[in-house]
Amino acid sequence: MKTTREQLLATLACGVVLAAAPWLLSDFLLALALSCLMYAALALSWAMFCGPTNYLSLATSAFFGLGAYVTAWSLGTLPYGAAVLAGGLAGSAFAALIGAGVLHLRGAYFAVITFGLGELALHSITYTEKTYFHTAGRIIGDPPENAVIYWTVLALALAAAATAILVRSSRLGTALRGIGSDEERAQTLGVATRRVKVLAFSASAFFPGALGAAMAVRWTYIEPLSVFNPFIGFQTVLIAMLGGAQTLLGPIVSAVFFTLVSEFLRLRFPYVFLILLGLLLIVLILYLPGGLASLLQRRFWRAGAR
Amino acid sequence: MPAEVLLAARAITVRFGGLVAVDRVDLEVRHGELVGLIGPNGAGKTTFFHALSGVLEPDEGRLLVGGEDLTGRAPHVFASHGVARTFQTPRVFREMTAEQNVRFGLEFAGRTRAHAHHAFDDAGTILGVLGLEAAAEVPAGALTPARQRLLEIGMALGARPRVLLLDEIAAGLTHAEIDGAAQLIRRVRDELGVAVIWIEHAVRMLMSHVERVAVLHQGRKIADGDPRAVARDPGVIEAYLGEEGEPVREAA
Amino acid sequence: MGFWLELAASGLITGGIYAVVAIGLNLQYGLMRIMNISHGEFLMLGAYLTWLAHTTFGVNPFALMPLVALALFALGLVVYRLCFQRIARTAPAVEVIEARSLLVGFGLMFLVQNAVYLAWGADLRGYSYLVEPVEIAGARFQANRLAVFGFAVAASLALLALLRWTMLGKAVRAMMQSPAGAQLVGIDTRTLHPVVFGAGLALAGVAGGLLSMVYEISPSMGEPYTVTALIVITLGGLGSALGSLLGGFILGLVEAFGMHFTSPSLKMVLSYGVLVAVLLARPKGLFSR
Repeated sequence: MKTTREQLLATLACGVVLAAAPWLLSDFLLALALSCLMYAALALSWAMFCGPTNYLSLATSAFFGLGAYVTAWSLGTLPYGAAVLAGGLAGSAFAALIGAGVLHLRGAYFAVITFGLGELALHSITYTEKTYFHTAGRIIGDPPENAVIYWTVLALALAAAATAILVRSSRLGTALRGIGSDEERAQTLGVATRRVKVLAFSASAFFPGALGAAMAVRWTYIEPLSVFNPFIGFQTVLIAMLGGAQTLLGPIVSAVFFTLVSEFLRLRFPYVFLILLGLLLIVLILYLPGGLASLLQRRFWRAGAR
Repeated sequence: MPAEVLLAARAITVRFGGLVAVDRVDLEVRHGELVGLIGPNGAGKTTFFHALSGVLEPDEGRLLVGGEDLTGRAPHVFASHGVARTFQTPRVFREMTAEQNVRFGLEFAGRTRAHAHHAFDDAGTILGVLGLEAAAEVPAGALTPARQRLLEIGMALGARPRVLLLDEIAAGLTHAEIDGAAQLIRRVRDELGVAVIWIEHAVRMLMSHVERVAVLHQGRKIADGDPRAVARDPGVIEAYLGEEGEPVREAA
Repeated sequence: MGFWLELAASGLITGGIYAVVAIGLNLQYGLMRIMNISHGEFLMLGAYLTWLAHTTFGVNPFALMPLVALALFALGLVVYRLCFQRIARTAPAVEVIEARSLLVGFGLMFLVQNAVYLAWGADLRGYSYLVEPVEIAGARFQANRLAVFGFAVAASLALLALLRWTMLGKAVRAMMQSPAGAQLVGIDTRTLHPVVFGAGLALAGVAGGLLSMVYEISPSMGEPYTVTALIVITLGGLGSALGSLLGGFILGLVEAFGMHFTSPSLKMVLSYGVLVAVLLARPKGLFSR
């Protein structure tokens, strides 16, 4: 599946097939499919920016939480679809704001500061809610039907995939890869790196924001700690890296695999599950930093060399 | 009528803490000029290049490209105004193929200068001119350092420059390869009117290819003119006597 | 007057703990570029170890400190060998070491925190020790807090003295300034790295043990200390143990007074706000050259 057009058509085809799920699957399986789609979208949008540039962003939880609170604050006044869009825009706006300030940092500093910003958002909203709205959490009354939520998340996942495909094959994608390879070199060849980074970072943040807004209605009661959960950020990074952040299929396959395995484990052994997750993360970073995709790449290279 | 001044450096000074790496250097390069830049180790040549390409902002002085003041602007602005460079240690995009590396320049800086030249309009042509067609699909990181140097020239050409800054491209090349590179540079200058500033450590070789040479010593420019005259300049000889001594005199 | 003294003192006491934890993390990051985001979890382990030993055998918690240090030191050697050594060997660039060790650190964080949840549950645990108040200059302090403060300061100063005046300390400082140079001179980095890592964890464990005397403990108590340690290192400068000592005290005071003038629930907002602000303004630290 080499050309952009083929990839986009394949995405569309998958979308059509998956849209039938609410009529075919039980409630439990539908919820599972929903989780898979959510993490696929999160991983794809994370990899869109962080894959080529080699940045390690832990800001996903911040965008997700912001989106969730857009829904929490606006449901009743805005229709569901509009809230989802607003959540996405909130994510992008926040990313553009912080991006301008933090994207010149690299490596672990960048990771720590994005993590810190997520926690800052969490604690700021906790404080604001307590002090100005006198509430610890919010009740989401009157949520849309499960099928509607599913289709919304499906649409977001398809949009994330399409955006990832388009970015990859565009000049923006080339610029991002150049930045990841040697940023100064890219500058001397004409790339306005600061602008490009903020643009791509902001664009990729739309999806976690929109997903947060979309998924918020699944909780009847949300509080900051549940939606600004840094775990969401770690899991996104883990999935994307496990699948291979520089590929398209990698994050998707990894998301499905991961969601299924972790749902099973989480139901049976809540604390052990997290221990296993920690272990998996460690083993992965130590022995397969390029993700599963790098394993496959090595196979192909060896085959091609003959 | 004198040719147009493409790049003008006026009293450029670069300081690192207490150390003055480049000290009030003036340099003007015109359309079609092929200028060598030499000097003993630590003279500030590469730092000067960093200033000329926008990678470092000079502490004092002005930089004019095509008459426009670009002092303090980001490197990509210099690139889109036609200043392209290579680095002392070849900096190529290692994971991309050679062809992608050259195309990079064409897609960014080269694009904003779309009608500057037509001779080198696509990556394939540029690779051919450099003798790298066979390596088009090879990841740049897998090329030998010498070929990476040539590839870097290709990347710079892809940016469709008016001024080409070459930093020690001869290191590691055989005599034949150096001659080939020099011919390429001449061709670029003759056909496209590109001005070239060429830093080289192998002074003797450089002197035989350029029509003008500037000498930096401890950050200051101590000579600028005809190669033979510069080679006889006592200040230049003294600067080099601390280092090599011989290469300059032999060129005279 | 007594009230301000108490406020300042409580800031200095927490600051002392921050300093001890930060020096440990500073050694690890400054020397090996290991961003051990799970550092706080080992503080928590030290706290639980102390609590367990004290409530089971009734031993004086202060007497337990050397044992806790030893145990965490040994654990540090193991953790380094299993988790971080490989990164240092296989990573192509410093940035990569940082990024990978950060992720491994997160993995450790999940692992350790949830192992403790599994073992002892999420409830708060604690014990009382030396809670009688002591009066100094018109202000009243709990004896245990004073003791903790004294211990923290003593440990920090001892460490600083070690770094400055012993051969081992000089070797460590040499490695921090120039890894290649240190190796050329014959300093055995391969042995010193795990030792320094272990020492870092030992410090965290001791800090945790001290904390267990004053506060209640829970599996999630470690994370805020990791954050404050990061802030302190950034404030005090990478590789500067003295900077961490001063930075710890400053941060403790800022927090104590900040919380008094605003509100205790703003504590976390303040902490992360300071972290972000400091990282933005001076990513190399306020005291660095």
